[in-house]
Amino acid sequence: MNRTDSMPFEDHFSMSSGDLQKILNIALSQGGNFSEIFLEYRVYSSINMEEDIIKETSENILLGAGIRVVYGDQTGYGYTNDLSLEKVTRAALTASSIAKGPPSQKSLPFRSAPVIPNYYPILHPAQDESLENKISLVKATYQSAFKFDRKIKKVKVSFTDQTRYITIANSKGQNLSDVQPLAKMTCLCIAEKANKREAGFSGGGGRVGLEYFAKDLTPEKIGEEAAQEATSLLEAIQPPAGEMPVVLSPGHSGVLIHEAVGHLLEADFIRKKTSIFWNKMGQRVGSEQIFIYDDPTIPFFRGSYNIDDEGTVPKKKPLVEGGKLVGLLQDRLSARLMNKPLTGHGRRQDYTCIPVPRMSNTYIAEGEYDPEEIIKSVNKGFYADKFQGGQVEDSGKFTFSVSSGFLIENGKLTAPVKQATLIGTNIDILQKIDKVGSDLTFGLQTGTCGKEGQAAPVTDGCPTLKVAKMTVGGFK
Amino acid sequence: MAVAESLVTFGQSQGTDEIEVSIMDGLEFSVDVRLGKIESLVEAGSRYLGLRVIKDNKTAYATSSDLNTDTLKRLVKNAIRRAELSNTDECAGLPIPKSGAIDIPNLNIYDPEISELDTDKKITLALETERIALSDKRITNSHGASFETKEINSVLANSHGFVHEYKETFCSLSVGIQAGDTDSKVEDYWSCTERHFRTLDPPEKVGKKAVARTVRQLNPRKIKTQVVPVIFEPTMTTWLLGFLFACISGVAVYQKLSFISDKLGEKIGNEHITVYDDGQLPGKLGTRPYDSEGVPTQKTSVIERGTLKNFLCNTYAAKKLNLPSTGNADGASVGPNNFFLQPGDKSPEDIIQKTDKGLILIRTIGHGLNPVTGDISRGAFGLWVENGEIAYPVSEITIAGNLGTILNQIEEKGNDLEFRSAICGPTVKIRELTIAGK
Repeated sequence: MNRTDSMPFEDHFSMSSGDLQKILNIALSQGGNFSEIFLEYRVYSSINMEEDIIKETSENILLGAGIRVVYGDQTGYGYTNDLSLEKVTRAALTASSIAKGPPSQKSLPFRSAPVIPNYYPILHPAQDESLENKISLVKATYQSAFKFDRKIKKVKVSFTDQTRYITIANSKGQNLSDVQPLAKMTCLCIAEKANKREAGFSGGGGRVGLEYFAKDLTPEKIGEEAAQEATSLLEAIQPPAGEMPVVLSPGHSGVLIHEAVGHLLEADFIRKKTSIFWNKMGQRVGSEQIFIYDDPTIPFFRGSYNIDDEGTVPKKKPLVEGGKLVGLLQDRLSARLMNKPLTGHGRRQDYTCIPVPRMSNTYIAEGEYDPEEIIKSVNKGFYADKFQGGQVEDSGKFTFSVSSGFLIENGKLTAPVKQATLIGTNIDILQKIDKVGSDLTFGLQTGTCGKEGQAAPVTDGCPTLKVAKMTVGGFK
Repeated sequence: MAVAESLVTFGQSQGTDEIEVSIMDGLEFSVDVRLGKIESLVEAGSRYLGLRVIKDNKTAYATSSDLNTDTLKRLVKNAIRRAELSNTDECAGLPIPKSGAIDIPNLNIYDPEISELDTDKKITLALETERIALSDKRITNSHGASFETKEINSVLANSHGFVHEYKETFCSLSVGIQAGDTDSKVEDYWSCTERHFRTLDPPEKVGKKAVARTVRQLNPRKIKTQVVPVIFEPTMTTWLLGFLFACISGVAVYQKLSFISDKLGEKIGNEHITVYDDGQLPGKLGTRPYDSEGVPTQKTSVIERGTLKNFLCNTYAAKKLNLPSTGNADGASVGPNNFFLQPGDKSPEDIIQKTDKGLILIRTIGHGLNPVTGDISRGAFGLWVENGEIAYPVSEITIAGNLGTILNQIEEKGNDLEFRSAICGPTVKIRELTIAGK
């Protein structure tokens, strides 16, 4: 793909470099430190299968431009899905109204775009593939789930893929583009036995082509995993309640790091002093074994990108090292107000949204404990295996919804357990992580994170972790 | 309206059996302020189109924000071609319009005043709300306050001759704040959303409510794991009803994704449980003349004194379940109109006073809702009640239960139902739930 040309998408946007310059200057016509135009053309499609039939398919187009003017710490924003020069100009004038005065600067001429690495060198973009081929992948997933066990009564499979073309031009002379592919297959199964009914879920994808589903994660595996979870939950007991040692499974438990640490190191929450971490940079907040990174440059991952939605080239960012807070996730506004370097974490859902600091692929690095030994070290506790999701507040209080897990008795995983909630405060839990496993794994490539109403694709990961004591919400 | 109609005609000329086109024009304004200054100001107009074609009982969808005629024609042609690749589905199809007038003005969901509001006035409302909240000394930080408006014009046309459009408006005022020191912070927010500007709560009311909700959580205690009566505040009842809605949605029911999918006509709750969905209540947030497929909205009795009377359906789910459509279509799925639990006659204070020992549930966080089983497990914040009085706030607890059980254990209902969102309910008291803590 031709990512580094300064204007590879004129077909979609029909705006020349000259037009972009004109818009950027109109945006600065009432003053302001910075103006930016974000152009987006996204084609996405979906296939749904349930009740043994391909129920429907869809094709979708998202086209639009968002214009931003920053004046001190204030942002004016206008957007339009009509890319006529007249409408885009009007959006620029709307954005300019945040500033009130004479123009103080002109937009700089565009520099040639730097050569940047491509983190999604895919062979067969799903968008170019025939619908028939994609339908056969969906059917393979569907059938493998049904074949897995007679107790599987209902299966739902969906495949979605998109290609997102973005161009970002700003008054600092940047003019960059990227083409971001994204594909995802998900499978939901319902298993029934006597009067019990349980659901299981699996899926995968990323910034991948269809070859991923041939070699990395096959449709058969996705179907079987979902069916396996649903059938094993039929035998599951209700979770225990109270404080106890908790072992977190590798991969899926990464959501804990995303929620308990990642969000609270997004620079906007630090700058506004709403995050519990705002006055703790450089301080020890957790066990020495903990090293946390956010890395948008992992090839083919769902949370990766060649440039962020403000045109910044991203790098792997250390957040916690040896239990100490060492870094933040910055967008352009927070970095300038805090006088810190950009990290490439300014993301937005689409052209209607103002970018904010966001995570990409967030993980705890591996430690030295053998995962088997970690489980063996627990006499009586809870093993959290798969999660529905999590949520955190700025105060550091968080919850995680565990969809399936196990009891740990005498160092062994015993009865399967369903639907538990883990709750705690982040610094407390970070200090109580007393064993970090050697088995770093990433969770399903299906995650979407929400912040201020904006959705962004993310991935998270971790090795097996042991928390000395945590509140498990259950019944007994 | 002309674009939608001409695209319907084009689809028919291309050989589709049925076609439906919807167009939404929106005008959005929002201002976020924080610590007395504008943080961001957004103003924009946008237009989206959605279409569905059905040929030989096979369905395909498309959406676009590119309203270029050539693009739209291409999408229609592609959709007809893609429909071939779906499987035959006997239940696929558009609703046949019923005769009878569609009354739009009396629904009172459009306020012309909203488009005329002065920008400075809108900014002042947000600033004033935050100022009032921050004027309380216990409030230590602000997430900011916002004032937002939306004006939407919706057009719907289909090949059965349905062509209608209606306008609606929304405005909302909100503020989020923190109290306490960095390491023992508590936070909450309050907001008011209305169809009409004149009925919107003033900054004074929104700001003070946010303060009261936040400071009552200061200095929380942890409590022991136990089983106790739990009083749900209206916002929490609303949350519970949102989960109930997911379980009585016709789509979840025919897909067997609901624990009550085979319980129609049966007792699923006690005599306190009467739930309606009503799309015709004048001026309310969930009110609309017809649903996204053009089926007129109505008042549907969902649960009557504990008996499950109706599932809420779009045309497809209705055919699947052999039930009538209830005017709840929302795109390809099902959405609430005004979905509410019939209130009782007790004041919330009265309900608290009669509780010896228990928890008032004020907030939950996390996911932990499973419609397939009805299981509920969430992180929770609450106020501990002893001898009929609020004793202290509690945090770091979870609540666990099952919706099926809860519907049978609601023993008191408040008289405080307010239509603050499309789904809403009054204060309720539940006989017992498990709370996990220390």
